[in-house]
Amino acid sequence: MTEPVTVTINRREVSAQPGEMLIKTAQDNGVYIPRFCWHPRMNPVGMCRMCLVEIETPRGPLMVTSCTTPVSDGMTVDTTNPSVKKAQEGVLEFLLINHPLDCPVCDRAGECPLQDQTMAYGPGESRFVEEKRHFEKPIPISELVMLDRERCILCARCTRFSEEISGDPLIEFQERGNYTEVNTFPDEPFRSYFSGNTVQICPVGALTATPYRFRARPWDLTFVVSTCQHCSSGDRINLQSSQNRLLRILGLDSEPTNQGWLSDKCRFGFEYVASPARLTSPMVRDEEGELREASWGEALDYAGGALGEVISRSGGRAVAGLGGARGTNEDAYAFSKFLRSAVGTNSVDCQMDDGLDPRLLSGIVDRARIADLEGAGSILVWGPDLKEEHPTLYLRVRRAAQELGAGLVVIHPRGTGLDDRASVKVTYQPGRGGEVLSELMDGNGRMAEAREVLSNGPVVALLGRPGYGESPDLAEATAAFVRSLPDATILPLARRGNVFGALDMGLSPALLPGRAQRGTLAAQMLADRWGELPAASGRDCRRILEGLESGDIEALVLVGADPVRDVPDGGLARRAFENAGLVVAIDQFLTDSSRMADVVFPAMGFSEVEGTVTNIEGRVLKVNRLTPGPGQSRPDWAILSDLAARLGVDLGLVSAQQISQEVEELADIYRSVNWERLDWEDRDGVVVGGDLGYVPVFSQVTSVSPRSGEMALHYARTMYDDGVMMRESPSLRPLAPGSAAHLHPSDAARLGVGEGDSVDVTSVSGSLQAGVVIDPTLEPGVVYVPFNQPDTPSLGSVLGVKVSR
Amino acid sequence: MVEIRSPSVRRGWSESVRARASEIVKQYPEPRSAVMPLLYLAMAEEGYLTDNGMREVAGAVGLTPAQVRAVASFYTMYKRENPGRYLISCCTSISCMLLGSDEVLRAIEDESDVTAGETDPAELISVEHVECIGACGGAPAVTVNYELIEGMTTEKARELVRWLRTARPEAIVGAECQELFGGRRSFDWGAFDRDSALGPYPAFGPLGTVSGPAGDQEG
Amino acid sequence: MSVRSIVTDRMTRHPSDSHTLDRYLGTGGYRALAKALEMPPDEVTGEVKAANLRGRGGAGFPCGVKWSFLAPAKPAYVVVNGDESEPGTFKDRQLMERDPHQMLEGTIITSYANGANHAFIYIRGEYPRSARRVQQAVEEAYAAGYLGSDILGSGYNLEVTVHLGAGAYICGEETGLLNSLEGRRGEPRLKPPYYPAAKGLYMQPTIVNNVETLANIPWIIENGGEAFAAIGPDGSRGTRLFSISGHVRRPGNYELVMGLTWRELIYDVAGGIPEDRALKCWIPGGASAPWFVPDDHLDLPVTLDDTAKAGSMLGSGAVVIMDETTCTVRATERLVRFFAHESCGQCTPCREGCSWLERILRRIEEGSGREVDVDMLLDISDNISPGLAWPPRMTTICPLGPSAVSPILAITSYFKDELMAHIHQGGCPFD
Ligand SMILES: Cc1cc2nc3c(=O)[nH]c(=O)nc-3n(C[C@H](O)[C@H](O)[C@H](O)COP(=O)(O)O)c2cc1C
Ligand code: SF4
Ligand code: SF4
Ligand code: FES
Ligand code: FES
Repeated sequence: MTEPVTVTINRREVSAQPGEMLIKTAQDNGVYIPRFCWHPRMNPVGMCRMCLVEIETPRGPLMVTSCTTPVSDGMTVDTTNPSVKKAQEGVLEFLLINHPLDCPVCDRAGECPLQDQTMAYGPGESRFVEEKRHFEKPIPISELVMLDRERCILCARCTRFSEEISGDPLIEFQERGNYTEVNTFPDEPFRSYFSGNTVQICPVGALTATPYRFRARPWDLTFVVSTCQHCSSGDRINLQSSQNRLLRILGLDSEPTNQGWLSDKCRFGFEYVASPARLTSPMVRDEEGELREASWGEALDYAGGALGEVISRSGGRAVAGLGGARGTNEDAYAFSKFLRSAVGTNSVDCQMDDGLDPRLLSGIVDRARIADLEGAGSILVWGPDLKEEHPTLYLRVRRAAQELGAGLVVIHPRGTGLDDRASVKVTYQPGRGGEVLSELMDGNGRMAEAREVLSNGPVVALLGRPGYGESPDLAEATAAFVRSLPDATILPLARRGNVFGALDMGLSPALLPGRAQRGTLAAQMLADRWGELPAASGRDCRRILEGLESGDIEALVLVGADPVRDVPDGGLARRAFENAGLVVAIDQFLTDSSRMADVVFPAMGFSEVEGTVTNIEGRVLKVNRLTPGPGQSRPDWAILSDLAARLGVDLGLVSAQQISQEVEELADIYRSVNWERLDWEDRDGVVVGGDLGYVPVFSQVTSVSPRSGEMALHYARTMYDDGVMMRESPSLRPLAPGSAAHLHPSDAARLGVGEGDSVDVTSVSGSLQAGVVIDPTLEPGVVYVPFNQPDTPSLGSVLGVKVSR
Repeated sequence: MVEIRSPSVRRGWSESVRARASEIVKQYPEPRSAVMPLLYLAMAEEGYLTDNGMREVAGAVGLTPAQVRAVASFYTMYKRENPGRYLISCCTSISCMLLGSDEVLRAIEDESDVTAGETDPAELISVEHVECIGACGGAPAVTVNYELIEGMTTEKARELVRWLRTARPEAIVGAECQELFGGRRSFDWGAFDRDSALGPYPAFGPLGTVSGPAGDQEG
Repeated sequence: MSVRSIVTDRMTRHPSDSHTLDRYLGTGGYRALAKALEMPPDEVTGEVKAANLRGRGGAGFPCGVKWSFLAPAKPAYVVVNGDESEPGTFKDRQLMERDPHQMLEGTIITSYANGANHAFIYIRGEYPRSARRVQQAVEEAYAAGYLGSDILGSGYNLEVTVHLGAGAYICGEETGLLNSLEGRRGEPRLKPPYYPAAKGLYMQPTIVNNVETLANIPWIIENGGEAFAAIGPDGSRGTRLFSISGHVRRPGNYELVMGLTWRELIYDVAGGIPEDRALKCWIPGGASAPWFVPDDHLDLPVTLDDTAKAGSMLGSGAVVIMDETTCTVRATERLVRFFAHESCGQCTPCREGCSWLERILRRIEEGSGREVDVDMLLDISDNISPGLAWPPRMTTICPLGPSAVSPILAITSYFKDELMAHIHQGGCPFD
């Protein structure tokens, strides 16, 4: 921190950080200077000229824009004198002369800065008698965004956002002077994963969101602050509803997490909450083998009885649990306690075969915070495509590299959204990650530059599994190496909304709540509360599915998970479900998996339950309830608690808040969390301290190549896919890219196919037909297939696939 | 669901234009700087600036087409609608106005039957009025394909239009037009040069838009 | 009379081939470069400082002082401003077409003095002949070893790129020009923090100078700064090219030593007004400058400082003369139309205000004016240029917006009767 300076604003002395813009200093000291174009998260452009103020200079008073003028010591500022007032009124009048008078039909009315400032600072009657500027009324510029150029005040917030923040400049100023307009290129829609942010920051109703248009007036909305659960970054949001229906989500500016931004998936991917396909009643499979609605009593009796039978026949270890990463910590804790103390099994996995060691995810030493990116000397990204799977983290990395000068090394099997900001980008064939790592460690040849960049500490490494063809051990080995870099910290990448919370609650065979490992003192203390813990070690997701297929595992309890669509080897999951003796599912929908269950309980979900979640850096945040659950749906913890009772066990759970207290008492690291404070003082969350002290182990990762005649498969997720939440959100559903086979131009030529032709992609576990996309960012010999697209079967966790016409 | 315009079929630049484009890009420390000359190149290639042309430019310098269009539409000389073979630009700024440019423009419009801002149906002649073109000492002034004619009169303006229409010169040689139709000049032009403009864009060697001695030297 | 040739000497004496390298060399060309390359760079800057050469692009900033502000970061660039688009101005065109080597030599010396190894010559798109002549000079200079690597065996390297504009006056504003040269919209940048000498082209230190400014450099190096500073009155040293146009018998570019009076400039230099009609008013320094009228200004000396003191500027050196037959409402409309057309559109007051003013003026000229329009014109102007002060107190990023106010001030203060006549007669009394 530099020495603060003293500035006099309207005859009052205040202190400020040197270099800070006057508009911000004034605001922090209770002086509001009207503005349109300034946005605290973007570089100032000084375009609207609304924020004019007068400063004293040796040559007399000078009118300056307060959003572009940094404070300096001894500066004297007047924000309200008559000439300032006149100038501000003048600007407002200029903005209004061409602005249409359509507030009554404008989505923004009621929360419109232009409307508000006209009331506060504007002239009365219009003296403008000429013809206003005319444009075709709102035009769609993407599937999600409409643009009304007549309302636009040319503040450059949207264009700046897409250039500075999201890096996909698809909307730009066009023409010049009085004819300037914002627009896209003809035929090139504003298809940005982040387009909704421009709607949120547009100071007028020029940009509107198709899913929200004409849905509500601001004064009818009720809202609550919560946390987004589409990815694991813990993005803070404002949920807004009218008449008990969730209508809109806005990003909140929370310094440690999303800084105001959201991906369109977070912003618009809530429509599923109100889907008519939501489960409203328990269901039980009848004699004909059909799922039919049942009462809670009947369903619980049925499930409890059947589970009890399995346990008494084969012991608790014949039962397994999958899921739990989509809900709250409280639900995850209940699931963990249910399986371990009521059922007696350690076979539980919330990770759905994503493949990373849970200890690496939540227990690693040197775990980074998201904010560490800001001060990083260099950043290494080797994992999933951040833009697809960790969108707001992607924005932070971009900013660090673009605005804050961090060096950036990106290693990935294909082009990523970060490449244009990368100091070094390495593309490689999936399966050869081990080789690439050795090269990086040696620092020779093409890696010399990467090592050079990474010699600038502090280093923040974002590590995960780039695709399902890659060895799960790669991230661990890379983490072990990264520890040798200067001041290195690591952010392990796992995407599921609350996967870190679920792991912290013990939804992993070897972990217990509070990141305690089995067999430790902490585990012993837990046993004092929970009773005897199951002795046998548990199975992970893949082995659970294999056990179900083979019959070693007889029963499965599924909580908010859809293995058939969501694990890489969907075929295995399908066979597992077909062979399972008993499946009890707690879910919001009948998914491809829960459809095969014997009993299904309707669960409440996002926006319907209260609780806490834990993000990628271990930050505990609050989620809140705004809308009622449909029909007879209930929270997961309550269902699990009742089910335990049918097994004769009282879990002692009475409310989410009580569970949270139990966690605080039991799990040392959660002691700093306070449920009530999370809504107020700790609204930006609390990072749960400590770690497992887990030191990543370096193991040689062997490189594998596809067999001859096969291509290496890069099988990775896209932001929009066929997950049930996307499928049930009509605005987003059409945006899934669909089945596609991306080929390097040389492979396309070899196969004699062009863009749009169709090819068959066949693996040992599945086969699909896909349209060809020519993708020069791939290495020759690699085919990229997006994972989990509508109407496409799964290819499995394989490396080699056959591609043919 | 909103209807979104679907991408249209793309035509690409020829190899030789690509090669010239990469020559131009090399002139600058950063590729983006080549946007303006490349936009001229795109015009020369297709006669005016098409969406295709802008896409090619975007590809050549690593921008999005929207970014390229943002630049192109800022400047008046990148014509995004097909102009005629001869673009007559008539200055109506202050000095020319003082000496009768409005009458000159009217004469041009009348003789060509093309209103300022438009092109005749045969796509032969476009007329526009422009702001000062730096020939105020020889006002009123016009340009044809950006080749200057100073000291215009209404009569000479009509003759110019008739000549373009009947002679249909392959290229516009500025000095020659000045001799034929011009009058008082802002200053002595010195040597008579035969550089000539091939279309409604500036004739400049590095762009390959000049014919005549200089253009030939360029080769 | 105060005529003296520095920059127009060669073209006057050798009209047919002053633009060729042969003629340039035959008349002492590139001697100054050879001399400069023997001097340490800051000594070159020292000479230019001693010359007290003020920028000829409009702002009149002392050239040597500007060079000494250049930030030390490398690479540094030199950019020649050949965008000349201020209505009434056509002097740089003559310098580029008739003596391109002179300004090129000035550019090379400037680049050397400022440690730049790449210079750009930005020429407005409507000047293809200028661009061709300058390009030809550049090619000749490369071939003859005045450009490229190890210039004249000095070890100094310089690349020069000629860049063609595409129709935007605002690219004459130096930061708009830099954006344009970077392949962006030619929107002026915020100053602070983007002063070219600190953060210019590609955010690197950059010197931007006008063509005429640089055309003076070879003479200064050859004859010494002091010799230059001995010419002309204090604050307006050297000569200056005036572009005279409008209602005069002999319009054209005149290289003059400053200090003569406006009367001399209009009547002696430019030959007075055709048919001896009466002088009504004139614009002393390009479209942005407030107008002068005979009663108040005819006998003022033509210097930078005297003109500034009288509330206007010499600007780009463009003098536009209007005689008694001029409809000043139409002249104002034409000028304001220019600024509205050329506004880049960033700043609300300029983007909206200029075109509003233009539309009101057109309405008055076409006969639909109302009395309230007169006060409105002034009040709108006041919202673009607070207090209607000179030099303007801006509400905008660059001075273009406030420039549009200059002609409005002129008609409302000197020719209000003409304005009212339009309104009362429902049309233009001059038609
Ligand atoms: C609106 C505007 C237009 C300008 N146009 C030109 C121009 O066409 N040519 C020019 O040399 N300077 C022009 N200038 C001045 C330049 O910004 C800059 O001051 C000049 O190029 C510096 O060179 P000098 O110091 O050699 O005069 C303009 C300034 C403004 C504000
Ligand atoms: S669309 Fe909205 S955000 Fe974009 S420039 Fe216009 S007013 Fe600003
Ligand atoms: S004053 Fe006008 S031309 Fe200058 S930056 Fe502002 S809008 Fe652009
Ligand atoms: S808020 Fe400062 S200029 Fe727009
Ligand atoms: S006013 Fe017409 S050329 Fe300058």
